Amino acid sequence: MIARLLLRVVSWSVMGYLILPLLVIVGSSFTATSYLAFPPQGLTLDWYGRMLGDTSYLAAFGTSTLLALVATAAALLLGVPAALAIARCEFPGKRFLLSLLMSPLVLPHVVLGAALLQYCAALGLMRSFTALLVGHIVIIMPFVLRSVLPQLTPEQRALEEASADLGARPMETFFLVTLPQIRSGLASGAIFAFISSWINVELSIFNTTAEMTTIPVKLFNYVQYTIDPVIAAVSSITIGVAALAIIILDLTVGLHLLSDRR
Amino acid sequence: MSAAMNRALPLLAAPVAFFAAFFAVPMIVVVSSSLMAGGVPSLGNYARVLFDQYHWDVLAATFRIAGLTTVACALLGYPLAYYLVRVVKSRALRRTCVILLVLPLFTSNIVRSFGWMVLLGRNGLVNDALVGVGILDRPMRFLGTELGIVIGLVYILLPFIVLAVGNALAAVDPALEDASSDLGATPFDTFRTVTFPLCLPGLMSGIVMVFTLAVSAYVTPALLSGGKITVFPMLIFQQYSTVFDVNYGGALSMTLLVMTLVLVGLAGWIGNAGASATGRKAQ
Repeated sequence: MIARLLLRVVSWSVMGYLILPLLVIVGSSFTATSYLAFPPQGLTLDWYGRMLGDTSYLAAFGTSTLLALVATAAALLLGVPAALAIARCEFPGKRFLLSLLMSPLVLPHVVLGAALLQYCAALGLMRSFTALLVGHIVIIMPFVLRSVLPQLTPEQRALEEASADLGARPMETFFLVTLPQIRSGLASGAIFAFISSWINVELSIFNTTAEMTTIPVKLFNYVQYTIDPVIAAVSSITIGVAALAIIILDLTVGLHLLSDRR
Repeated sequence: MSAAMNRALPLLAAPVAFFAAFFAVPMIVVVSSSLMAGGVPSLGNYARVLFDQYHWDVLAATFRIAGLTTVACALLGYPLAYYLVRVVKSRALRRTCVILLVLPLFTSNIVRSFGWMVLLGRNGLVNDALVGVGILDRPMRFLGTELGIVIGLVYILLPFIVLAVGNALAAVDPALEDASSDLGATPFDTFRTVTFPLCLPGLMSGIVMVFTLAVSAYVTPALLSGGKITVFPMLIFQQYSTVFDVNYGGALSMTLLVMTLVLVGLAGWIGNAGASATGRKAQ
């Protein structure tokens, strides 16, 4: 009984701990004071207005969004064929290939960022959108593989064979049979990939400049020197985007985390 | 060439070429430049890393922070995972909690660390509360201490362990636990001999994930250290962004990478040994 009560208290405290910082940021973005105050003192949307008036924030939001969209599209175009080959074909070195493609998950991003900076400098791409893009594709590919691979089951394979037996060309089978069946894996992989790219700092920081920067890197550079309600407003927007992504994920494919229904 | 190879090749050509060009080759460039000094092959960079007491201090701080973070994540995350999967009956409540658990994961480290900068400041909510309740008689310094960094990192990494343990737990058939208690085991015995061993692989993979991410974290320590504490990824960043010594930076990168991989390998090995001792193979 006591153990159960203790479990309840610990769990809700941990949930509180997880929510508190986000609550503080969103709350203090509405403060009428010129410094960060939580609970907010007075209510105003001024800080959001200031943010919208500053084109450098809008540019950074734009860069981040474009980067994440292109990187996600590329990661899907590269990741889905790779997943198909890994799930369908036996070839030597398959396990090695899969670990290679998954390794950006455990490799320190600072190390990879440094490597790409040095390498892209040698190619003449240093601190360019291309340099950012290739790095982002590398680190988000694992999310695509991890969501798509479990869906390429033998049962799903049987339907593809049936389609081929009935005379469909490989492309027809892919678009009419395979793709619809792995739709939910594609969607969750794409959302995880997009968000991971959108919030990345450790890798991006090496290849951004004052003129071309992503929103998290811009926030990072700013927060180190000043903390003001404009930063809280910008941060709140990113929390809003995160919430939106999760709600989309939950409504379309469902967050099957922590449930036995899998 | 086998038929399977012929089918796989067109699918793999582009992804493999891409990974070779923008992942493998850059990593090789770092390794090879770490083995050069002043234009000639040399192990001097590694000697500089290894024979400097300062680096050992930084490394020790990095691993101490990562170790404390991992232990705290496991101790806080395990009960929450257990509670959400086994105790919470309402599907709607569980769904809400999962959303709140994933929301921080979908938010940039910057934003989350920024929240803690505000909370942990001298006049922040945490100090106000601790002084108000009477636990402290005057505000305590969190920013610029290892404790402050650990608080931030635990917050950033906690969801990983909750999800890893929770998913392992959700896959354990409750009938096994019922059987155990039907046979007369106390709830604690059931937990100790049935539930815990069965979700040990999940816990271990969560621990490895949290530890690697904590060791390689740059943003959270940078923001919460207040410039007073240096962790290893900061050294790497300095070399590349302000000192421009790619040879030395490469050696630092490789040192961090090798240390991380060794520890991850060790944890995997312990996890496997532990899991096979309880008669189950780690995934």
